[in-house]
Amino acid sequence: MLKNRAILVVFRLVLGGLFVYAGVVKVVDPLDFAQNIRNYRLVGQSLSFIAAVVLPWLEILAGIALAAGIWKRASALIITGLLVFFILLTLVTIARGLDVECGCFGALSRKSGFGVILEDLGMLFMGLCLLVAPAKRT
Amino acid sequence: MGAFSVLLAAAVHLPLVKRFVRDEFRETFLSQAEYPGVRLITLQEGEDLWAAGETVFFDARPERPFREGHVPRARNLPMANSKLEIPPGLLDLPRERTLVVYCEGGDCQSSLALAKRLHDDGFKDIRVMTGGWEEWKKAGLPEEAGDAEK
Repeated sequence: MLKNRAILVVFRLVLGGLFVYAGVVKVVDPLDFAQNIRNYRLVGQSLSFIAAVVLPWLEILAGIALAAGIWKRASALIITGLLVFFILLTLVTIARGLDVECGCFGALSRKSGFGVILEDLGMLFMGLCLLVAPAKRT
Repeated sequence: MGAFSVLLAAAVHLPLVKRFVRDEFRETFLSQAEYPGVRLITLQEGEDLWAAGETVFFDARPERPFREGHVPRARNLPMANSKLEIPPGLLDLPRERTLVVYCEGGDCQSSLALAKRLHDDGFKDIRVMTGGWEEWKKAGLPEEAGDAEK
Protein backbone atom coordinates (compact mmCIF):
# COMPACT_ATOMS: atom_id res chain seq x y z
CA MET A 1 0.00 0.00 0.00
CA LEU A 2 1.00 3.64 -0.43
CA LYS A 3 3.25 5.25 2.15
CA ASN A 4 3.83 8.63 0.52
CA ARG A 5 2.64 11.20 3.07
CA ALA A 6 1.48 13.82 0.55
CA ILE A 7 -0.60 11.31 -1.39
CA LEU A 8 -2.16 10.00 1.81
CA VAL A 9 -3.13 13.55 2.80
CA VAL A 10 -4.74 14.04 -0.62
CA PHE A 11 -6.61 10.74 -0.15
CA ARG A 12 -7.84 11.91 3.25
CA LEU A 13 -9.11 15.20 1.88
CA VAL A 14 -10.71 13.71 -1.24
CA LEU A 15 -12.35 10.77 0.50
CA GLY A 16 -13.41 12.81 3.52
CA GLY A 17 -14.77 15.56 1.27
CA LEU A 18 -16.73 13.10 -0.85
CA PHE A 19 -18.33 11.56 2.22
CA VAL A 20 -19.23 14.95 3.69
CA TYR A 21 -20.81 15.93 0.36
CA ALA A 22 -22.67 12.60 0.08
CA GLY A 23 -23.97 13.01 3.62
CA VAL A 24 -25.05 16.63 3.27
CA VAL A 25 -27.11 16.06 0.10
CA LYS A 26 -28.94 13.25 1.89
CA VAL A 27 -29.54 15.29 5.06
CA VAL A 28 -31.18 17.97 2.92
CA ASP A 29 -33.81 15.54 1.60
CA PRO A 30 -34.13 12.56 3.98
CA LEU A 31 -37.45 11.36 2.56
CA ASP A 32 -36.00 11.12 -0.92
CA PHE A 33 -33.07 9.12 0.45
CA ALA A 34 -35.48 6.91 2.44
CA GLN A 35 -37.32 6.20 -0.80
CA ASN A 36 -34.01 5.36 -2.47
CA ILE A 37 -33.23 2.84 0.27
CA ARG A 38 -36.75 1.41 0.01
CA ASN A 39 -36.30 1.00 -3.74
CA TYR A 40 -33.59 -1.60 -3.11
CA ARG A 41 -36.39 -3.75 -1.65
CA LEU A 42 -34.19 -5.20 1.07
CA VAL A 43 -35.69 -3.54 4.14
CA GLY A 44 -39.13 -2.24 5.03
CA GLN A 45 -40.45 1.28 5.56
CA SER A 46 -39.25 1.65 9.16
CA LEU A 47 -35.68 0.52 8.62
CA SER A 48 -35.47 2.58 5.44
CA PHE A 49 -36.50 5.66 7.39
CA ILE A 50 -34.08 5.03 10.28
CA ALA A 51 -31.19 4.39 7.89
CA ALA A 52 -32.09 7.50 5.89
CA VAL A 53 -31.87 9.81 8.89
CA VAL A 54 -28.85 8.24 10.63
CA LEU A 55 -26.54 7.09 7.82
CA PRO A 56 -25.94 10.57 6.29
CA TRP A 57 -24.76 11.88 9.66
CA LEU A 58 -22.38 8.96 10.02
CA GLU A 59 -21.01 9.80 6.56
CA ILE A 60 -20.63 13.47 7.47
CA LEU A 61 -18.95 12.84 10.83
CA ALA A 62 -16.60 10.20 9.43
CA GLY A 63 -15.83 12.44 6.45
CA ILE A 64 -15.06 15.48 8.61
CA ALA A 65 -12.94 13.42 10.99
CA LEU A 66 -10.98 11.87 8.14
CA ALA A 67 -10.40 15.15 6.30
CA ALA A 68 -9.45 16.94 9.52
CA GLY A 69 -7.13 14.15 10.60
CA ILE A 70 -9.02 13.41 13.84
CA TRP A 71 -9.57 9.73 14.69
CA LYS A 72 -8.06 8.93 11.31
CA ARG A 73 -8.05 5.19 11.69
CA ALA A 74 -11.55 4.98 13.18
CA SER A 75 -13.02 7.19 10.47
CA ALA A 76 -11.15 5.33 7.73
CA LEU A 77 -12.50 2.09 9.17
CA ILE A 78 -16.10 3.37 9.14
CA ILE A 79 -15.73 4.69 5.59
CA THR A 80 -14.16 1.51 4.21
CA GLY A 81 -16.82 -0.52 6.00
CA LEU A 82 -19.56 1.57 4.41
CA LEU A 83 -17.92 1.27 0.99
CA VAL A 84 -17.70 -2.52 1.26
CA PHE A 85 -21.38 -2.54 2.20
CA PHE A 86 -22.30 -0.26 -0.75
CA ILE A 87 -20.35 -2.47 -3.17
CA LEU A 88 -22.04 -5.65 -1.92
CA LEU A 89 -25.43 -3.92 -2.04
CA THR A 90 -24.86 -2.85 -5.64
CA LEU A 91 -23.72 -6.35 -6.65
CA VAL A 92 -26.83 -7.88 -5.07
CA THR A 93 -28.98 -5.28 -6.82
CA ILE A 94 -27.44 -6.11 -10.20
CA ALA A 95 -27.86 -9.84 -9.54
CA ARG A 96 -31.54 -9.31 -8.69
CA GLY A 97 -32.04 -7.35 -11.89
CA LEU A 98 -33.40 -4.29 -10.09
CA ASP A 99 -33.38 -1.02 -11.98
CA VAL A 100 -32.88 1.52 -9.21
CA GLU A 101 -31.13 4.79 -8.59
CA CYS A 102 -28.05 4.35 -6.37
CA GLY A 103 -29.02 7.23 -4.05
CA CYS A 104 -25.34 7.88 -3.41
CA PHE A 105 -24.94 11.57 -4.23
CA GLY A 106 -28.42 13.09 -4.09
CA ALA A 107 -29.33 14.72 -7.40
CA LEU A 108 -26.08 13.42 -8.93
CA SER A 109 -27.15 9.83 -8.30
CA ARG A 110 -27.50 7.49 -11.23
CA LYS A 111 -28.51 3.94 -11.94
CA SER A 112 -27.06 1.41 -9.54
CA GLY A 113 -24.66 -0.62 -11.68
CA PHE A 114 -21.05 -1.43 -12.49
CA GLY A 115 -20.14 2.26 -12.87
CA VAL A 116 -21.11 2.83 -9.26
CA ILE A 117 -19.07 -0.21 -8.19
CA LEU A 118 -16.01 1.13 -10.01
CA GLU A 119 -16.32 4.47 -8.22
CA ASP A 120 -16.75 2.74 -4.90
CA LEU A 121 -13.71 0.56 -5.59
CA GLY A 122 -11.66 3.69 -6.26
CA MET A 123 -12.76 5.16 -2.94
CA LEU A 124 -12.22 1.82 -1.21
CA PHE A 125 -8.63 1.79 -2.45
CA MET A 126 -8.06 5.22 -0.88
CA GLY A 127 -9.73 4.10 2.33
CA LEU A 128 -7.65 0.95 2.59
CA CYS A 129 -4.43 2.91 1.95
CA LEU A 130 -5.35 5.21 4.83
CA LEU A 131 -6.37 2.33 7.04
CA VAL A 132 -3.09 0.43 6.71
CA ALA A 133 -0.81 3.49 6.59
CA PRO A 134 1.69 3.79 9.45
CA ALA A 135 0.13 5.81 12.29
CA LYS A 136 2.42 8.85 12.14
CA ARG A 137 2.74 9.05 8.39
CA THR A 138 -0.67 10.56 7.50
CA MET B 1 -19.32 8.32 16.19
CA GLY B 2 -22.31 6.02 15.65
CA ALA B 3 -24.10 7.20 18.78
CA PHE B 4 -23.37 10.82 17.92
CA SER B 5 -24.86 10.27 14.45
CA VAL B 6 -28.06 8.95 16.03
CA LEU B 7 -28.25 11.97 18.34
CA LEU B 8 -27.66 14.41 15.51
CA ALA B 9 -30.23 12.66 13.34
CA ALA B 10 -32.82 12.77 16.12
CA ALA B 11 -32.14 16.44 16.83
CA VAL B 12 -32.03 17.74 13.27
CA HIS B 13 -34.88 15.62 11.94
CA LEU B 14 -37.08 15.80 15.03
CA PRO B 15 -40.22 17.01 13.16
CA LEU B 16 -39.74 14.22 10.64
CA VAL B 17 -39.15 11.64 13.39
CA LYS B 18 -42.41 12.76 15.02
CA ARG B 19 -44.26 12.20 11.75
CA PHE B 20 -42.60 8.79 11.48
CA VAL B 21 -43.76 7.88 15.00
CA ARG B 22 -47.29 8.98 14.00
CA ASP B 23 -47.04 6.32 11.27
CA GLU B 24 -47.25 8.89 8.50
CA PHE B 25 -44.77 7.02 6.33
CA ARG B 26 -46.34 3.60 6.74
CA GLU B 27 -46.94 3.15 3.01
CA THR B 28 -44.83 5.73 1.29
CA PHE B 29 -42.24 8.41 1.93
CA LEU B 30 -44.15 10.86 -0.23
CA SER B 31 -44.77 13.96 1.82
CA GLN B 32 -48.40 15.07 1.47
CA ALA B 33 -47.28 18.66 2.00
CA GLU B 34 -44.89 18.43 -0.94
CA TYR B 35 -47.02 16.18 -3.15
CA PRO B 36 -50.64 17.00 -2.35
CA GLY B 37 -51.80 15.75 -5.73
CA VAL B 38 -50.50 12.22 -5.28
CA ARG B 39 -52.48 9.53 -3.53
CA LEU B 40 -52.49 5.75 -3.33
CA ILE B 41 -55.45 3.77 -4.66
CA THR B 42 -56.61 0.16 -4.62
CA LEU B 43 -57.05 -2.13 -7.59
CA GLN B 44 -60.82 -1.60 -7.44
CA GLU B 45 -60.45 2.17 -7.70
CA GLY B 46 -57.97 1.73 -10.53
CA GLU B 47 -60.34 -0.57 -12.37
CA ASP B 48 -63.24 1.87 -11.96
CA LEU B 49 -61.15 4.72 -13.34
CA TRP B 50 -60.00 2.58 -16.25
CA ALA B 51 -63.55 1.47 -17.03
CA ALA B 52 -64.77 5.08 -17.05
CA GLY B 53 -62.23 5.68 -19.82
CA GLU B 54 -61.31 9.25 -18.86
CA THR B 55 -58.12 8.48 -16.99
CA VAL B 56 -54.70 8.11 -18.58
CA PHE B 57 -52.70 5.14 -17.29
CA PHE B 58 -48.92 5.17 -17.11
CA ASP B 59 -46.89 1.99 -16.73
CA ALA B 60 -43.57 2.63 -14.95
CA ARG B 61 -42.07 -0.77 -15.76
CA PRO B 62 -39.23 -1.29 -18.24
CA GLU B 63 -40.13 -1.68 -21.94
CA ARG B 64 -39.85 -5.44 -22.13
CA PRO B 65 -42.39 -6.42 -19.47
CA PHE B 66 -44.61 -3.62 -20.77
CA ARG B 67 -44.58 -5.14 -24.26
CA GLU B 68 -45.42 -8.55 -22.81
CA GLY B 69 -48.55 -7.24 -21.18
CA HIS B 70 -50.05 -4.10 -19.67
CA VAL B 71 -53.28 -2.35 -18.80
CA PRO B 72 -55.07 -1.60 -22.09
CA ARG B 73 -54.44 1.95 -23.36
CA ALA B 74 -51.61 2.47 -20.85
CA ARG B 75 -48.55 4.44 -21.89
CA ASN B 76 -45.08 3.25 -20.98
CA LEU B 77 -42.77 5.54 -19.02
CA PRO B 78 -40.01 3.30 -17.63
CA MET B 79 -38.95 4.91 -14.39
CA ALA B 80 -35.38 3.84 -13.77
CA ASN B 81 -34.43 7.10 -12.10
CA SER B 82 -35.73 10.56 -11.33
CA LYS B 83 -33.87 12.08 -14.27
CA LEU B 84 -36.23 10.35 -16.66
CA GLU B 85 -36.54 12.24 -19.92
CA ILE B 86 -40.13 12.10 -21.06
CA PRO B 87 -40.54 11.80 -24.83
CA PRO B 88 -42.03 14.98 -26.32
CA GLY B 89 -45.77 14.78 -26.79
CA LEU B 90 -46.33 12.01 -24.29
CA LEU B 91 -47.45 14.46 -21.64
CA ASP B 92 -49.46 16.78 -23.86
CA LEU B 93 -52.39 16.48 -21.50
CA PRO B 94 -54.32 19.01 -19.44
CA ARG B 95 -52.62 19.24 -16.06
CA GLU B 96 -56.01 18.69 -14.36
CA ARG B 97 -56.44 15.29 -16.02
CA THR B 98 -56.47 12.32 -13.64
CA LEU B 99 -53.53 9.99 -14.13
CA VAL B 100 -53.01 6.51 -12.75
CA VAL B 101 -49.50 5.13 -12.45
CA TYR B 102 -48.46 1.60 -11.65
CA CYS B 103 -45.43 -0.66 -11.69
CA GLU B 104 -44.87 -4.37 -11.18
CA GLY B 105 -46.69 -4.54 -7.85
CA GLY B 106 -45.75 -6.15 -4.58
CA ASP B 107 -42.89 -4.10 -3.30
CA CYS B 108 -42.14 -2.10 -6.45
CA GLN B 109 -41.46 1.59 -6.00
CA SER B 110 -41.01 3.00 -9.49
CA SER B 111 -44.67 4.08 -9.75
CA LEU B 112 -44.10 6.36 -6.76
CA ALA B 113 -41.03 7.82 -8.40
CA LEU B 114 -43.01 8.38 -11.59
CA ALA B 115 -45.86 9.97 -9.63
CA LYS B 116 -43.39 12.44 -8.13
CA ARG B 117 -41.96 13.18 -11.55
CA LEU B 118 -45.42 13.81 -13.03
CA HIS B 119 -46.35 15.98 -10.06
CA ASP B 120 -43.20 18.03 -10.64
CA ASP B 121 -44.36 18.36 -14.23
CA GLY B 122 -47.52 20.12 -13.06
CA PHE B 123 -50.11 17.35 -12.92
CA LYS B 124 -52.53 17.80 -10.06
CA ASP B 125 -54.30 14.47 -9.71
CA ILE B 126 -52.05 11.43 -9.77
CA ARG B 127 -53.19 8.11 -8.34
CA VAL B 128 -50.72 5.34 -7.59
CA MET B 129 -52.23 1.89 -8.05
CA THR B 130 -50.14 0.12 -5.41
CA GLY B 131 -51.10 -3.44 -6.34
CA GLY B 132 -49.58 -2.79 -9.76
CA TRP B 133 -49.57 -5.04 -12.78
CA GLU B 134 -49.29 -8.20 -10.65
CA GLU B 135 -52.63 -7.55 -8.95
CA TRP B 136 -54.33 -6.39 -12.16
CA LYS B 137 -53.28 -9.59 -13.95
CA LYS B 138 -54.17 -11.81 -11.01
CA ALA B 139 -57.68 -10.33 -10.95
CA GLY B 140 -58.16 -11.38 -14.57
CA LEU B 141 -58.75 -7.83 -15.78
CA PRO B 142 -58.29 -6.93 -19.48
CA GLU B 143 -54.74 -6.89 -20.78
CA GLU B 144 -53.01 -5.75 -23.88
CA ALA B 145 -49.60 -6.65 -25.34
CA GLY B 146 -47.22 -4.82 -27.66
CA ASP B 147 -46.00 -1.27 -27.82
CA ALA B 148 -49.45 0.29 -27.51
CA GLU B 149 -49.35 4.05 -27.02
CA LYS B 150 -45.72 4.32 -26.01
